[in-house]
Amino acid sequence: MSSRKIAIGSAVLVVLALAATVGLVRFIMSIEYRAPYRSDQSQATPRGQATMDEAAAKAKADRERPYVEESYRRFPVVGSRVAVWVLAQLHLLFAAFVLAVPIFALIIEFIGWAKGDARYDRLAHEFTKLLSVSFSLTATFGAFLLFMLVVLYPKFMNYLTHVFSPTFAPYVGLFFFEAFFLYTYYYGWGKFHPVVHLLLGLGLNLVGTAIMLIANAWLTFMTTPAGISESGAVISTWQAVHNYTWMPINIHRLIANVAFGGSIAAAYAATKFLGASTDEERAHYDWMGYVGNFIAICAFLPLPFAGYYLASEIYAYSQTLGLTMMGGAFSWLFIIQAVLIGSLFLGANYYLWLGMGRVDASERFQGYIKYLLILVAACFAIWATPRSIIATVSETRAMGGASHPQLGYLGVMSAKNTAVNILILTTFVSFLLYRRSGRTPTVTWARLGNALQLAITAAAAGVVIFLGVYGYFVEAKVRIGLSIPQVGSVLFAMIAVTFIDVFMYRNAKSLGETHWGRIHPASQYVLIFLAVTFTWLMGLMGYVRSGLRQHWHVYGVVRDTSVDAFTPTLGFATKVVSVTVLCFFLLIGFVFWLASLSDRKPSGPGETA
Amino acid sequence: MKVPVPLRIFALIVATTAFYTLVGQLVPQKEVHPPQETALKKEMSQEEILTAGRQIMERKGLCFTCHTVGKTGALRFPDLDGIGARAGSAVAGLSDVDYLAQSIYEPNAHIVPGFNPGMPVINKPPVGLTDEEILAVIAYLQSMGGKVTVTLESKVWPLGAGADPKAGAAATAGPSR
Repeated sequence: MSSRKIAIGSAVLVVLALAATVGLVRFIMSIEYRAPYRSDQSQATPRGQATMDEAAAKAKADRERPYVEESYRRFPVVGSRVAVWVLAQLHLLFAAFVLAVPIFALIIEFIGWAKGDARYDRLAHEFTKLLSVSFSLTATFGAFLLFMLVVLYPKFMNYLTHVFSPTFAPYVGLFFFEAFFLYTYYYGWGKFHPVVHLLLGLGLNLVGTAIMLIANAWLTFMTTPAGISESGAVISTWQAVHNYTWMPINIHRLIANVAFGGSIAAAYAATKFLGASTDEERAHYDWMGYVGNFIAICAFLPLPFAGYYLASEIYAYSQTLGLTMMGGAFSWLFIIQAVLIGSLFLGANYYLWLGMGRVDASERFQGYIKYLLILVAACFAIWATPRSIIATVSETRAMGGASHPQLGYLGVMSAKNTAVNILILTTFVSFLLYRRSGRTPTVTWARLGNALQLAITAAAAGVVIFLGVYGYFVEAKVRIGLSIPQVGSVLFAMIAVTFIDVFMYRNAKSLGETHWGRIHPASQYVLIFLAVTFTWLMGLMGYVRSGLRQHWHVYGVVRDTSVDAFTPTLGFATKVVSVTVLCFFLLIGFVFWLASLSDRKPSGPGETA
Repeated sequence: MKVPVPLRIFALIVATTAFYTLVGQLVPQKEVHPPQETALKKEMSQEEILTAGRQIMERKGLCFTCHTVGKTGALRFPDLDGIGARAGSAVAGLSDVDYLAQSIYEPNAHIVPGFNPGMPVINKPPVGLTDEEILAVIAYLQSMGGKVTVTLESKVWPLGAGADPKAGAAATAGPSR
């Protein structure tokens, strides 16, 4: 259908709608109530007198009604908690995206400028296209969330205002600057000197991060309050900001935002790839998807370490809080988390393996994939093994307890820490193989370099496994500390091996070309799957971070006395997370559609769409 | 028939979300409600106080989030089995009641060797047990291998608060002390 026909049809519809509205108003006016004619002389009847007395009594009661400050108001149907939960999560998802995209857009733009490669500039610009609508949605959900909190939880918001009012004005001011930098950065693409444009991008990132730091102070204070007296009065606003979990959450969120933003940008590229009609488009969006996913996985690998830091600070603040998280009401949530993270690792590896198809001469590494798959699957299975098993009474008797006699040993932290570290190492090896596809080193020390890389990787795996086994034979105090050398050895291996690889493959001989766009379409669905999984994981972990407080608005200070003052089942929580994720993808689909409109040619007179 | 790409993407998103929701339904489902208060009355019998003490430890006190009873092996916090018998000799110069009271009101005053400090102050939020509730807890702890001397009228904190200067007693709690 041509756009002219659409325009005419729309105009006709608008006229019809207007005519219908006018007709409806006239009809309503025609049946408006009109008082019947009555005599001027009123006759007091007992009924009339009673009605007047009643009205007077009501007016008097209204005048004398005392003002009572409400603690809570109820949101219809789903209740206040779920309403605020969904809104907060949607706000956070869009905010994470809006904060993350400028980080890697700026880096990509900088690479393009430094290398003088216009492809990177185009890529960075395309990532930025997704920002403006997302920024509006972030702000809209933020304002909606604030109104809902003020309306539904007035007393609690009053307390937060008491503690954090000095931070509100800077927050709003920064938001204004964020809008300034974002729109100037986007609309000024190619209009300024590259350095000026890069500085605008830097400003956007700095302001965005500062906004996140302020908002993080509010929410971390609710879990690990500081800077207040025993009764909750403020002693130091700075201490309230700089509470136990503030810095761990700042670091964790910054990294997680990049991982999430990268995955959403990769999903955008995947949708464009699947709808592409030319090889050129396919090549571009394959590359864009690869870069987005690369960013997501690079940020995702150190995320468990940031998670350890956050968890250790929660334990440092309150052992009870830490044990509630890991051993109490939320312990089974980490089994769900294991399924999600296992799926992410599996998907990320699969995408890399499929990606080898676009590189000539990558067949020599294909044989290793099955071993990597076995390792990934084994680690995934160990990580998702629960300590205690849901069993009938007879099954429990047969096992001799709630734990399985053999599998139960895999359900403890020693085994899980080992599994996740090996999983990270395996993914790193997958990436290394992909990186080497189609190239062979030319340096004289290539054999030594390979041997060294192998030795470092094997040593790291050996340290991780040894400490994992050792953890079964030592007391808790020692066992908890073992995760640090485990993590350290994996990080060291990744840095050292990459360092060697970069020098070894400098001036490497090419064995074939990389054919961007030559990849199985299944790979693009994997990218979308990864984006959904990242989003769902963010929703789940947001729930545990917030739900950890249980029946407290501010842990140990402001108690939740509402009808929602209980921790719902994990089944219920996952349903809420799923609804939020679906809402988010409907909205982000709208953002993708809007972003793609700018690629379309404008339809002029006589042209058909 | 070829399914359009947007429909396939939509189906993938819904299927992935549904899968994770299903995983969420497979784990144990438990609603956790705020701890119930345990009613205490001055005229309670010793048996009733011990029952109340146990309930307070399970519910409002959150004691069994960390502590165990009758468990051995690699523990994160001391096992409480036989605490009533050990408490009197745990710290030189402190009676069993003094030791238990100080361990509750000042949890970091005495750390059992091999364990890390980490117990919260029990008489303040978020746990916030009252003095009476703590007396019931101490009575229950005494009952695990020791002799129960504490009643709901005992004065156990601050240390020495229960001493009767006229009687010249050095003990802090209970009729048998």
